[in-house]
Amino acid sequence: MSIKDKPEESANLYFALENIRSKEGIIGYILRNSKSASVDLNDPDKIIDYAMLSTESLETGEIASEIFELGVISSVVVEGNDVKVLSLVIGDQRLSIFMAKEVDHNRMLKELDLTKHSQKRNERLN
Amino acid sequence: MSEDIYANALKTALTEVRNICPDITRSFIFTEDGTIIAEAAQDAEVSTERAIHSFQSLIEKADTIGGLNTFLVNGSKGVAQISRVNNMYLALSASKKADMTFIQSVARIIVPTVMKLLENIVSTPLKSTSPSQNLTAENLTGLFTGETAQIDNEILKEWSKNLGNVRIDEIEVETSNGKNARCKVKAISEREFVGKGLIRIPEKLSRTLELEKGEQLKVKPIIPEGKKV
Repeated sequence: MSIKDKPEESANLYFALENIRSKEGIIGYILRNSKSASVDLNDPDKIIDYAMLSTESLETGEIASEIFELGVISSVVVEGNDVKVLSLVIGDQRLSIFMAKEVDHNRMLKELDLTKHSQKRNERLN
Repeated sequence: MSEDIYANALKTALTEVRNICPDITRSFIFTEDGTIIAEAAQDAEVSTERAIHSFQSLIEKADTIGGLNTFLVNGSKGVAQISRVNNMYLALSASKKADMTFIQSVARIIVPTVMKLLENIVSTPLKSTSPSQNLTAENLTGLFTGETAQIDNEILKEWSKNLGNVRIDEIEVETSNGKNARCKVKAISEREFVGKGLIRIPEKLSRTLELEKGEQLKVKPIIPEGKKV
């Protein structure tokens, strides 16, 4: 079942994303599953480039995890000269948050982790 | 210092780092073209070819965020980090209980320092021994610019003449901040840029060196191995 079919989980994640989006230095995010995508970026011209980078970073992360025996991936961070990307898998959703290099991505992780826990708890209750 | 000795010295450094921190499971250094320069001694042979190939593809996509400096994967059992060190990449993987501060110190301080020391102690085989030339940075843009810088043909000819008629295809560029990089070189093709003491730098290299147009750069020819004068 996708997050679209679970209004509460979806609302939690979007609420967390809206909160993160309003923070200083956040450039935007791409949230996608196999059927749909939600994109919110400061510069719409970069959607394709950022989407490709988002996909590639998670795929490279999965290969690295397999080769280096890292287990289940909790997050992937790609840091460039100007921008940093935090990518993670939440349920069947793949999320990439783009931010200025100086932003503390661990804080974003904590906020999103709370969302994940909330989703898991709801799944158990259901 | 031959390349073998350089690689051995790096391998020793990586192995020693692993001895100090046994939580480090793998460590190796590779170039952008995928060649592994040095790898710490390890318990089992594991092919890293697929990871490097995938990482190379990621490097291309990361152009959009100003190149790739660090790639970090957090897993339930461990972490892996690939960091840019000069023109190479250092890959480190460690168990979950590893001290991340130590891992960061290895990637950002220890290995770069060892590499710098090795380069300074004795010049590497491809290291130039010729005097440098100060040139002014100029942007080189366009679809077919590739990764080759352009300088005056007169300078290329003079270097070639002074170095025993060796063909100069590669140069080392150093910024005032001490950042340096190697790249291929050819003569300036557009007449309006000739004879002005310029070096036309492709966009990608410009980003790597964090260059501004008009910046003064130290440029040296690289003498191919076996053709030293």
